Amino acid sequence: MLRVDATPTHEYGEFKLRPGKPLPFGATISPGGGVNFSVYSRHATYCELVLFWKREPEPFATIPFPDEFRIGNVFTMVVFDLEYENIEYGYRMDGPFDPEEGHWFDRAKFLMDPYAKAIGGRDIWGEEPDWSNKYPHRSRIFYDDFDWEDDHPLEIPLEDLIIYEMHVRGFTQHPSSGVKYPGTFAGIRWKIPYLQDLGVNCVELLPIHEFDEFENSRISPENGQRLMNFWGYSNVGFFAPKAGYAASGKFGMQVDELKALVREMHKNGIEVILDVVFNHTAEGNENGPYISYRGIDNKTYYMLTPEGYYFNFSGCGNTLNCNNPIVRNMILDCLRYWAADYHVDGFRFDLAAILGRDQNGAPMNSPPLLETLAFDPILGKCKLIAEAWDAGGLYQVGTFPSWGRWAEWNGKYRDDIREFLKGDSGMVGKIIQRLQGSPDLYQWRGTSASVNFITAHDGFTLMDLVSYNEKHNEANSEGNADGEEHNNSWNCGIEGPTDDPGINRLRIKQIKNAAAMLLVSHGMPMILAGDEIGRTQLGNNNAYCQDNEFSWIDWSLLDTNAEILNFFKKIIAFRKAHPVLRNKTHFRNEDYVGSGYPDISWHGPKAWHMDYSDERPIAAFLLCGRHARGGTVEDNYIYVAMNMHWESRSFEIPALPEGTLWHVFTNTDIQPPHDIAEVGHEVEVENQSEFLLGPRSLVILVGK
Amino acid sequence: MEIKTSTQDGVTIIGISGNLDANTAQQAQDEIMPLVVPDCRLVLDMSQCEYVSSAGLRLMLMIAKKIKTTEGGKWCLASVSEEIMDVMEMTGFSQFFQTFDSVSEATEAIRGGQ
Repeated sequence: MLRVDATPTHEYGEFKLRPGKPLPFGATISPGGGVNFSVYSRHATYCELVLFWKREPEPFATIPFPDEFRIGNVFTMVVFDLEYENIEYGYRMDGPFDPEEGHWFDRAKFLMDPYAKAIGGRDIWGEEPDWSNKYPHRSRIFYDDFDWEDDHPLEIPLEDLIIYEMHVRGFTQHPSSGVKYPGTFAGIRWKIPYLQDLGVNCVELLPIHEFDEFENSRISPENGQRLMNFWGYSNVGFFAPKAGYAASGKFGMQVDELKALVREMHKNGIEVILDVVFNHTAEGNENGPYISYRGIDNKTYYMLTPEGYYFNFSGCGNTLNCNNPIVRNMILDCLRYWAADYHVDGFRFDLAAILGRDQNGAPMNSPPLLETLAFDPILGKCKLIAEAWDAGGLYQVGTFPSWGRWAEWNGKYRDDIREFLKGDSGMVGKIIQRLQGSPDLYQWRGTSASVNFITAHDGFTLMDLVSYNEKHNEANSEGNADGEEHNNSWNCGIEGPTDDPGINRLRIKQIKNAAAMLLVSHGMPMILAGDEIGRTQLGNNNAYCQDNEFSWIDWSLLDTNAEILNFFKKIIAFRKAHPVLRNKTHFRNEDYVGSGYPDISWHGPKAWHMDYSDERPIAAFLLCGRHARGGTVEDNYIYVAMNMHWESRSFEIPALPEGTLWHVFTNTDIQPPHDIAEVGHEVEVENQSEFLLGPRSLVILVGK
Repeated sequence: MEIKTSTQDGVTIIGISGNLDANTAQQAQDEIMPLVVPDCRLVLDMSQCEYVSSAGLRLMLMIAKKIKTTEGGKWCLASVSEEIMDVMEMTGFSQFFQTFDSVSEATEAIRGGQ
């Protein structure tokens, strides 16, 4: 059938045009043919569309938006007969230049579309850009018709999630990865069998929105290597995947490659969560470049001081004006797009406390953006996870506005477990809370409000946590002044790598202790990729700029640290096998099924006796299997004893119901192969009433 | 882009030369789709095809889907260049297509009704 909107109404030079539709924003291939361009600016007085052939320095066409095409504050038009696969587009806008008033219009600047779904300019990771390029980050047009087959987001219940935090490039870039397309989305696809074997069911990708790895890049005087923005916490565009993370980026097919990754992950039972950065952009402060937002409507997109300077709650030069209604809608459009068009399963929001600040920077009680996201129909089943703090001092762990939907990176879990692990005294009271899903923080929100983690990309790896007392960030060329000072780490006797077999044995044991505590805690466990094979960053706790062996996973560690990997696999399998470890609601500390045992009970060296005045890092707990999932399913009894003290300790084991016996699943004090059992093949304990727990050791018993 | 078809032992060989992209996909679709009929045997000879864009891959996917719902229809690709094969692998398209190193291998395989 012929469509009326397939007919041009205007001409400009060789181009045929007609008035466009204001929504959706961005460039959309319209059903009537032609490409519909639509861009918002409240303060621009003029806008023109500029078209480039791919990678050409100068535009081949400039088409002003006719006045009569503007609708409200939206410039929109349809341009017919464009070779959409071969062009890049941008805008030039005119308007006031008055920084004190917040306006930075400059008609000479080429501006990327804030809604660009694909962005050219950094097509191949690390390929040095042409610094004279007047339009370095270029909007491209992409056809949104991926073949999803019967794919659907997995909607794994929060309490069953086991998150694996991964950097796309770091995961397979190392030559030892053995994948055909290292450092890319396709590379991860090759490693799906590994992830399945490990047992995780959710991968959280560090930022994959287009960013500029050359932002603030410099040559390290330490080793002559180029330091780059490796982590990518600095968005160029919010709607486009990072081209340099796609093996097919050089062909402009990063959209398909990432979607294919999500589809394959889902086929294999693994969710994909994106780490999203809505707190600032790559445009920096007053001295930063024009990429898009600054030249399109600075006053809308950024939080500005009364004098017109950029607020810096992100620590990165500027702050996105998240609770401006326009920006709020852009964030919502963006998340909906990733959920609907990429089938992603959820989001982790970097420095999310900023999302709750008003346009003057003050924290709000009921931030409209966070509320909107919590209740949005399209995001209705997406995981929403907040990093509940920002660089402006707002710390909201436990108090992040949640509407029953938001979970949090539980920073207190990380800090308390680390202190307990290294044997600090007076930690038991806190540990009890952390292992139970932090009811002290999330009393009304359930256990799955807490993302439990001991390590993350930001900070020490697990191996470094037990190998270094201090950070060693010299390679970042900032005089070791960057990175977190308070790591609660302990090197087990010597700073850094050592040949001392006793120390190395202790380190492995500490890693096992940490892994075991993480996987038996209530809440969602998150594992930092590589921790399962003892990855080290040589004490660097802020490797954001290290695109090299510091950050790349060395897959030969699979052999070197097979013992650690084996432990991780089995403790993950243990969590998955036991619903009693994955309750959605908090414990009630009582017997509500008539088993004769409370759902959870805490014990000391003496059974049924928890001495809270004891300062030593010793604790044990018993989970009653008949209370699993609120008493709806039957599971084994599980007893966990933790002795983080440097002396051995005798523990009295609570007695089991008649006909059941204790079996040992793991004892981290014992060397392989008897350090940990196959799930279901635990060995019966000889002495059912008492055992000696070695120093800095953890035991898990299964009653069945 | 140019499309040449020939028949060999009941197998239709469709030779694509040049670029298969947004500019040529419609023409290719108009010429190839009518060949998808019940019991058809099609070999897409890619030896002279220099480049396949996103739009080109989408056309190939649509052919694959139409063949799937066409009774007795079979098809495969032959002589795909390494670069095009790479793009198909990276983007996950390759799983939808059966490929052979040469037209004769493809013809042989498809004639047998595989």
